[in-house]
Amino acid sequence: MTDKAIDLSLIEPVLKEYAGVKGSLITILQNVQEIYGYLPSEAIYRVAEATDCSPARVMGVATFYTQFRFTPIGKYLILLCKGTACHVNGSDMIAKAVYEALGITDGQTTEDGLFSLTFVACLGCCSLSPVMMINDETYGSLTPDKVKKIIADIKAKEA
Amino acid sequence: MITITINDKVCQCEDGEYILKVAKDNGIEIPNLCNDESVAVYGACGICQIEILDDGKGRALPKLCRACSTQAHDGYVVRYDTERVMRSRRVALELLMSDHSGDCLGPCKLNCPAGTDIQKYLKQISAGDYHGAVKTIKQAFPLPASIGRVCPHPCEKNCRRRHVDKPLSIAFLKSYAADKDLAENTYRAECKDDNGKSVAIVGGGPAGLTAAYFLRLQGYSVTVYDAMKKMGGMLRYGIPAYRLPKSIVDRECEEIEALGVKFVNECRIGADTTIEKLKDENDAVIVAVGAWKSMNMRVAGEELDGVVGGIDFLRNISSGEGVKPDLSGKKIAVCGGGNTAMDACRSAIRCGADKVYVIYRRTREEMPAEDIEIEESIEEGVEYKFLANPAEIIGEAGKVKKVKLQLMELGEPDASGRRSPKPIEGKFEELDVDVVIMAIGQSLNGNGTECLEKTKKGTISADEYTFMTSVDGVFAVGDATNRGASIAIEAIGEGNRCAQAVDNYLNGRPVAVKKPIVSRRKDEEIDFSGREKKERIVMPTRPAEERRKDFDEVNLGFDDEEKVKSEAKRCLECGCHDYEDCKLVRYANLCEINPERFSGKKNDNPIERRLVSIERNPNKCILCGLCVRVCDEVAGKGILGLVGRGFSTVIKPEFKDDSVISKCAECHKCADACPTGALKIIK
Amino acid sequence: MKITVGQGSCGIAAGAAKVSKALTDALSGSGIIPGITGCIGMCYLEPIVDVYEDDGRLHRLVKVSENDAETIADAVKSGDMTKLASLEISDEDKEFLAKQTRIALRHCGVLDPESIEEYISAGGYKSLEKVLKGETPEQVIETIKISGLAGRGGAGFPTWFKWNAARQSRCPEGGKKYLICNADEGDPGAFMDRAVIESDPHGLIEGMLIGAYAIGASEAVVYVRAEYPLAIVRLKKAIAQAEKAGYIGENILGTDFCCDFRIKAGAGAFVCGEETALIASLEGERGMPRLKPPFPAQKGYWQMPSNINNVETFANVAWIIENGGEAFAAMGTPDSKGTKVFALTGKIRRGGLVEIPMGKTLRDVIFDIGGGIKNDGTFKAVQMGGPSGGCIPAELLDTVIDYKKLSATGAIMGSGGMVVMDDSTCMVGMAKFFLDFTAKESCGKCVHCRIGTKRMQEILTRIVEGEGREGDIEALEELCSAIKEGALCGLGQTAPNPVLTTLKYFRNEYEAHIKDKTCPAHECRALLRYNIDSDKCKGCTLCARNCPAKAISGEVRKPHVIDQTLCIKCGQCAANCKFGAVSVK
Repeated sequence: MTDKAIDLSLIEPVLKEYAGVKGSLITILQNVQEIYGYLPSEAIYRVAEATDCSPARVMGVATFYTQFRFTPIGKYLILLCKGTACHVNGSDMIAKAVYEALGITDGQTTEDGLFSLTFVACLGCCSLSPVMMINDETYGSLTPDKVKKIIADIKAKEA
Repeated sequence: MITITINDKVCQCEDGEYILKVAKDNGIEIPNLCNDESVAVYGACGICQIEILDDGKGRALPKLCRACSTQAHDGYVVRYDTERVMRSRRVALELLMSDHSGDCLGPCKLNCPAGTDIQKYLKQISAGDYHGAVKTIKQAFPLPASIGRVCPHPCEKNCRRRHVDKPLSIAFLKSYAADKDLAENTYRAECKDDNGKSVAIVGGGPAGLTAAYFLRLQGYSVTVYDAMKKMGGMLRYGIPAYRLPKSIVDRECEEIEALGVKFVNECRIGADTTIEKLKDENDAVIVAVGAWKSMNMRVAGEELDGVVGGIDFLRNISSGEGVKPDLSGKKIAVCGGGNTAMDACRSAIRCGADKVYVIYRRTREEMPAEDIEIEESIEEGVEYKFLANPAEIIGEAGKVKKVKLQLMELGEPDASGRRSPKPIEGKFEELDVDVVIMAIGQSLNGNGTECLEKTKKGTISADEYTFMTSVDGVFAVGDATNRGASIAIEAIGEGNRCAQAVDNYLNGRPVAVKKPIVSRRKDEEIDFSGREKKERIVMPTRPAEERRKDFDEVNLGFDDEEKVKSEAKRCLECGCHDYEDCKLVRYANLCEINPERFSGKKNDNPIERRLVSIERNPNKCILCGLCVRVCDEVAGKGILGLVGRGFSTVIKPEFKDDSVISKCAECHKCADACPTGALKIIK
Repeated sequence: MKITVGQGSCGIAAGAAKVSKALTDALSGSGIIPGITGCIGMCYLEPIVDVYEDDGRLHRLVKVSENDAETIADAVKSGDMTKLASLEISDEDKEFLAKQTRIALRHCGVLDPESIEEYISAGGYKSLEKVLKGETPEQVIETIKISGLAGRGGAGFPTWFKWNAARQSRCPEGGKKYLICNADEGDPGAFMDRAVIESDPHGLIEGMLIGAYAIGASEAVVYVRAEYPLAIVRLKKAIAQAEKAGYIGENILGTDFCCDFRIKAGAGAFVCGEETALIASLEGERGMPRLKPPFPAQKGYWQMPSNINNVETFANVAWIIENGGEAFAAMGTPDSKGTKVFALTGKIRRGGLVEIPMGKTLRDVIFDIGGGIKNDGTFKAVQMGGPSGGCIPAELLDTVIDYKKLSATGAIMGSGGMVVMDDSTCMVGMAKFFLDFTAKESCGKCVHCRIGTKRMQEILTRIVEGEGREGDIEALEELCSAIKEGALCGLGQTAPNPVLTTLKYFRNEYEAHIKDKTCPAHECRALLRYNIDSDKCKGCTLCARNCPAKAISGEVRKPHVIDQTLCIKCGQCAANCKFGAVSVK
């Protein structure tokens, strides 16, 4: 993935919308991440300036929550559920299958920038466990073979 | 105003005040690590826990509370030392220590049996402050000039500089400073006012003298009884003058005497006085009689004329007051591989012996003697017979004629890791000798100590921490006790701790003296790759040809002061700069925690040097958040922040360097607030 | 004729949206457009399509796929409902719902969550009107007191008490009170709150507005997990509709009562379910718990009096106002009133959302409603309360569902996660799973939780990896009691529970791992040992050919052996053997 210069003007409307709104830091960061796909450090400084927070505080808040990322993510974000029901029904095997198919584990992105993997606490689809989400699509009752097929299909589509 | 009691002390305060603050205002310290009056209450460390035994209405609160954030109400009965509180506090401290990576003390100090603050005195030496250095050393023991010359220096063996190039020359730096100090304006510690109590010490060797010194400083009337003509014990009568000139021992003994310690020489326990008598006349007795009996080899022919014990041989030379025995034309066999064997063989050379053999059953590798001693003895002409063991001493007309040696080979390593020697069946060798010196070890001459319980080894049984013997009020230290003979500094360390134990005993305090609980890193955890190499100073010695003729000191001493200072500057300063003020380690000791109990993975983050004049070691950080809060709430800068979550949370300055530099006011409030040594002012 | 397709998150994940689209296509021109409902709670039967005949008769079709669209369209168009027979829910499965008592879930799977009209026509917002126009806040609180409603988030604190405290709390000049809904359902294995928001957002809004009126709040905030996008979308829509209809905003229903409504999306931190951490997060800070006192009722959000309840608690409120506190209190036990929703999952035959009156037993829920263990397995334990709860063993299956009775087992009522385990679940592994979770979710503020849970996790990890040592159990126990005593917030204080309960009921499993280096459930890989029974092995070589580690050797038609030093315990040999010759211990 190439490092593109960050166009800070993209977040100005967000900063304007929440200007002076107390306690909106997390919401602003969520919006910023929506725009860039992650939180570039330049944007963090800009948010700090606009919200009159110290950059250290903004960084502190951003790194506290698992939703925020500090490096660009892949085109397909796999959210792999590690909830209790998924655990009981073998989510470890699913994580292993993803690793075997893509060579990535929690928090990592494939070299081609196509896939990122994040473990999540619970997607709330416990009765379909084990479950994962890829972008907005949910996949339930997974088996290692199913996982490999889903990934292979996406790869084929992108090839 | 309301009234509450904290650990039985009645305190007046405003209703709703935080209990930690009330305690502080009343001179009570409830342990805490994350509280500071200048910033808002935070409640992270959990060290300040208290139990509220009565809430003013006759009920005890079911949960433990944090004193920092619990408000006082009328009639509260608070304790911060109940068993429940202590257990919780101990676990909190143990958990903190399990993720606290640093060295409270350098390995030099930790490995010094006397606990000498080596890093500190090296720093003083590097600044040319020899008087200060001696003052530092004398907080551990009173004989620096002597010990600097003879100590096998476990400090140097553990010096981390050895992973870079070579360890510091700690022992010789010590004797250098001590010589300078003895030469002029000698440091002399102040004694406290006489406290009216007296202690008798049996034995004026390193252990006894050290105990005498520290008890005297505490204001005790101290008398040292010794069988020999002069004080010094093994330092005087065991160690030959070419290593430690007697004049040095004299000077250091004088210094002790000058404090008011009474010396009574030529008074033999069991003959001239008894332990019971001394106990009757004094408040306490310390037995530090040493181990003066050479061990037998249990071979045929030991009764022959010409067979002597190593210690007896050395004492004989030292007692001669300058007159040395004439061994010219004689062939000598010294049996053993320790330092006594070295002293014996080199002394024998100096007495004009024709031929001196050292007979040792293993190889040079396994010899317990100091390498430099072996080296120098070879230079002086000593011949080694390795892998050989005396099997019989053959005499003629009652006199030694030959020694028959059983030849050996090395087998499997034993429990100590040393390969144990095994006889090669049927292989023998005979050496023509006139004298056989048995230097295979020493033991207690039990005369006069019959009233004390002994160990299986025949030594006096004394408690490891209280030094108490089986007789109340009688303590024992040094070579005479427990594991038996060891190096001088070991006996000295015991002497020092025993003095504290006696002081505790006579003041009704818990007697045991324990080594401090510290945080320490393993050498393997440390990266030395970036360290610049600097050559170690070499002690100049007299040429072998010259020195083998007399008992004058082999070492010539350092002559270039700058070299000495730069040697001292080689110190890597492993010990924490904040050890004295660190609250974490203070509480760890106060609560007697086991820092290893919950050991596990530690966070490992690089040292942060982006703050202008502060070096931040995140691995010593306990995440109390004080630096962050002080920088924000007091200094108004907000440069520091918590990054991440949970176990891997780390405190960092904001991530753009120029921004940090422009904002930091170098007020150092963060470093001042830090309860540990995580923040160090570097400018 | 009316058709609805259940489209909660799990329904959609099972393919409900695709079914709905296929049905729409198949029915085009018939004048019937399939509607949506939320989650009916029979997750194991998703996707579910409900076909209502004009006389109100319901045909519930289950496990519907896109391919069934034509069949359904055909039946609907022709009016011949017998064509649906193969898709209709079985009588046995009907029991799943029939045995429940639904209050919090009363609208779930029944109403269209995106339609305020449906909600109103089902009697919605009547309770709000009733209190605004006819009751004082004190009367409302009294009704809630009579009902015995307790916090459904886990702790079970009486709701009226919190409301009253916030009501009594004086608001500083120029300030206002806040009512907050905790929808940060982070307990892995629980999804009741998500289902309620997705399926009945107006029910939540109405309950919250009544609460806001009772305490005197003029702003209501819902703090929702960011992982629940559909819930956020539906709630947003519902808020907009309610605002338009005059239920939210200035002078609601023409009274003096004014209340704004907001959603705040969480950003991924379990600890934000703890109320002081939730407030910190709402204020845009790191979600680290704050010291209590002051309690939120005194100084909460922006230092103002605030009240926080969870979704299910609010979902009961409108019903209680409508039917009276006594009706609610008539259900349950002396200690625990009303109903409770559970998310029944794990190795259960019929998993989903279950709402039952307090006082039923665990056996009622798991066996009577849930149908027992999947694949005829053996029940071993049920985990309740997630990371703050514990595992209840088979011998306690007759425990009554009641706050106190459940706490007595060492588990807790919790927010309603009920994860069923059979004998293939390792209980040490279960404890480790939860400690992995809490260690990862610990905010890092207090020492006991930050380092203590990490150390517990390390010890548990080494036990399941076969590296357990003498003294590990004692070290765990010591850490458990210290963390319970010393941690700052509820997350930390309850983090030891999964370990304590498994130690209490399954200590032998810990000992087997540590002393015998075996895992009785055969789950911990490092402790497995595969063996080939030489009497049964025919020497077909299939196992050897499929072994990825080349750990199996042997001549053709002669018994094979596994080299234990090479074996990676993947289980391929056992899976491939046609003669049942590979055993695992």
